Amino acid sequence: MKQITKFSVLGLFLMFFLFPGSSLGGEVGVTDTTVLVGCSNSFSGPLVYPGTQLVNYGLEIYFKHINAQGGVHGRKIVTQYYDDGYKPQNAVANTKRLVEQDKVFAILSPQGTAPVMATVKYLTGNKVPLLFPFQGVPIKGVKTIFTSFAPYPTQSEVVTSWLVEKKGFKRIGILYQDDKYGYTFRDPAKKVLEKYGLELIAAESYKRGTVDMSAQIAKLKKANLDALILVALPKSGASALKEAHKQGLKGTKIISSGPLTDEKFIILSGGVGEGVWGLSLWPDPVNSQRPAMAEYREMMKKYGKDKDNRPNRYSLFGYFYAKLFVEGLKKAGKNLTRDSYLAALEGMKNWENGIVPAVSFSGSAHLAQNAGFMVEVKKDVFKPISGWVRLKDGKLVEEPL
Amino acid sequence: MLLQVILSGLATGSIYALVALGLALIYNTTEHVNFAQGEMSMVSAFIGFTFFHSAGFSLPVAFLLTLAVSAVLGIIVERLVIRPAMRAPHFNIFIITLGLSIVMKSLAGFVWSHDDFPYPSIFPNETITVGNATIDMISIGNIGTTVILMLMLFIFFKYTRYGTAMRAVSHSQNAALLMGISVKQSFSITWAISFLVAAVAGILMAPVVFLSTHMGMVVINGFAAAILGGWGSIPGSIIGGMLLGIIDNVAPLYLPSQIKNVVPFMVICIVLVIRPKGIMGIERLTKV
Repeated sequence: MKQITKFSVLGLFLMFFLFPGSSLGGEVGVTDTTVLVGCSNSFSGPLVYPGTQLVNYGLEIYFKHINAQGGVHGRKIVTQYYDDGYKPQNAVANTKRLVEQDKVFAILSPQGTAPVMATVKYLTGNKVPLLFPFQGVPIKGVKTIFTSFAPYPTQSEVVTSWLVEKKGFKRIGILYQDDKYGYTFRDPAKKVLEKYGLELIAAESYKRGTVDMSAQIAKLKKANLDALILVALPKSGASALKEAHKQGLKGTKIISSGPLTDEKFIILSGGVGEGVWGLSLWPDPVNSQRPAMAEYREMMKKYGKDKDNRPNRYSLFGYFYAKLFVEGLKKAGKNLTRDSYLAALEGMKNWENGIVPAVSFSGSAHLAQNAGFMVEVKKDVFKPISGWVRLKDGKLVEEPL
Repeated sequence: MLLQVILSGLATGSIYALVALGLALIYNTTEHVNFAQGEMSMVSAFIGFTFFHSAGFSLPVAFLLTLAVSAVLGIIVERLVIRPAMRAPHFNIFIITLGLSIVMKSLAGFVWSHDDFPYPSIFPNETITVGNATIDMISIGNIGTTVILMLMLFIFFKYTRYGTAMRAVSHSQNAALLMGISVKQSFSITWAISFLVAAVAGILMAPVVFLSTHMGMVVINGFAAAILGGWGSIPGSIIGGMLLGIIDNVAPLYLPSQIKNVVPFMVICIVLVIRPKGIMGIERLTKV
């Protein structure tokens, strides 16, 4: 008897250390009545607004709606979040806590390239699904990872190709943040231009957080560009627009990168953003008349916590990917395991959602959205000036919105 | 192109100068180094924003109320946080103000969030052309206000009774006491004026750098400007700030943009090696 007890204790001990994510009986994070998901996100620090909106007004409002209907296959969605303040080391600690202590079924929509990338190896090693992170570095060929929007290099290629092919621009320059975020736009733009026999006429950078762009804009003005691609965070992007307006950069069309194309950037620029182009990944969260977008706004109103429930692209991201996550749960069926869930996602074909182009995954394709559309700021609103544009086998393809 | 960048540099420099001015004021009277100067500007700017946006006051009224509230805040901070440590070593006060800056930033985030907001300017958002350069009225207004404020403070310290008393306190608190000067009152007035200058800096700075809890970081450039101009010198604060702003902007015009943050601090090192007391600094002799 003593011998048996000893082996049992040893067995449990080994189980605990060798398979930290597993539990005895049933899948990790799943009971008959609940499924637990969570993420590390920015509830403080420089990305506090996107993080709070994505989680509190995106993921949460859709899960509240689903839970109010009784959940999925009788399971309500339970969530757990921790703040990393956009610090990779905090994101790693939070993610370990979610996996080992809280025992989540999956990590859903964490935010920020550096914090997310810091957790990839750990999550992959422990076979914990990482679903639809808000970040722009391409992650391919990992069975347990499904990504969200088109990676930044792809966005850069799409925009540069569109400017050359559709608009005939030849003298193109870039103003970018001097870090990995900036380089993931600058380098692909350079390659695309070389493909067309052109070169990047001017490339000016700034340190993250800078709001004084006078020297950079003066140099870019001297370069006499047709188009200037602006890769920045909203505050610096708005400063660049103000400075361009001040110095009279009239002959140059300014194009904001995908992450920059949001309402905050235009509000901060204080009315000088008129005529700016950008790559939008989403229909206008405030004005789009699509039924699915109206439904999103209604839910923001119904379930949004307080005064900060105005529609925006970050809450829309959270809302959309909560919806996609739930769609996966529905397809996975009553006997939910991580394997059955991943298989259900891989089997998803042409999921019409009314917000972005139909989503399809396969064993080798785990990217949810590979298209965006070009917009122009008219009276402080982003108006579409193209259809959905994406790259297919390296060539620009445009489809109706 | 050079003129354009110099004008922009002067506008940026005027913000550094105002922060340096606040630092100089406190140092002149108390010999304390106030690390919370940037956060004082930030909190004042948020108070102005609340008066304007939430309470619905007109812009001039909101800003005048902000100045009044800021002066009172200065007195409260001095009374509650600084005065109990008045006789402590200066390093202790430095750490207290460092802690104060963190508390102010966290509280501001709690009350107003850590988001960025556009901020209205008291000056019109129009541009004028000077030669082949363009400058906006906000920049001109900021530069003008900074210079006027500097002159007012210079006159106050040099020619008024209160100003003279405050300078006496900075030289020797014991001697000042013997002359019938209230050291405590001098400290209070100094903090009130310094918070008021911080409020002016915040109100001028926020339309340019946007209102956020991070805007207090400008104190680093304020320190650099104060050291460059000469610690404790009021005209030196302005010269140091303006010079730093110009170097900050002109350097990336001729060198790669990445150099922007390196050159000003290299210049400061060089100036301090050649002239350790800064451009306008006065050497203080201490009897040991």
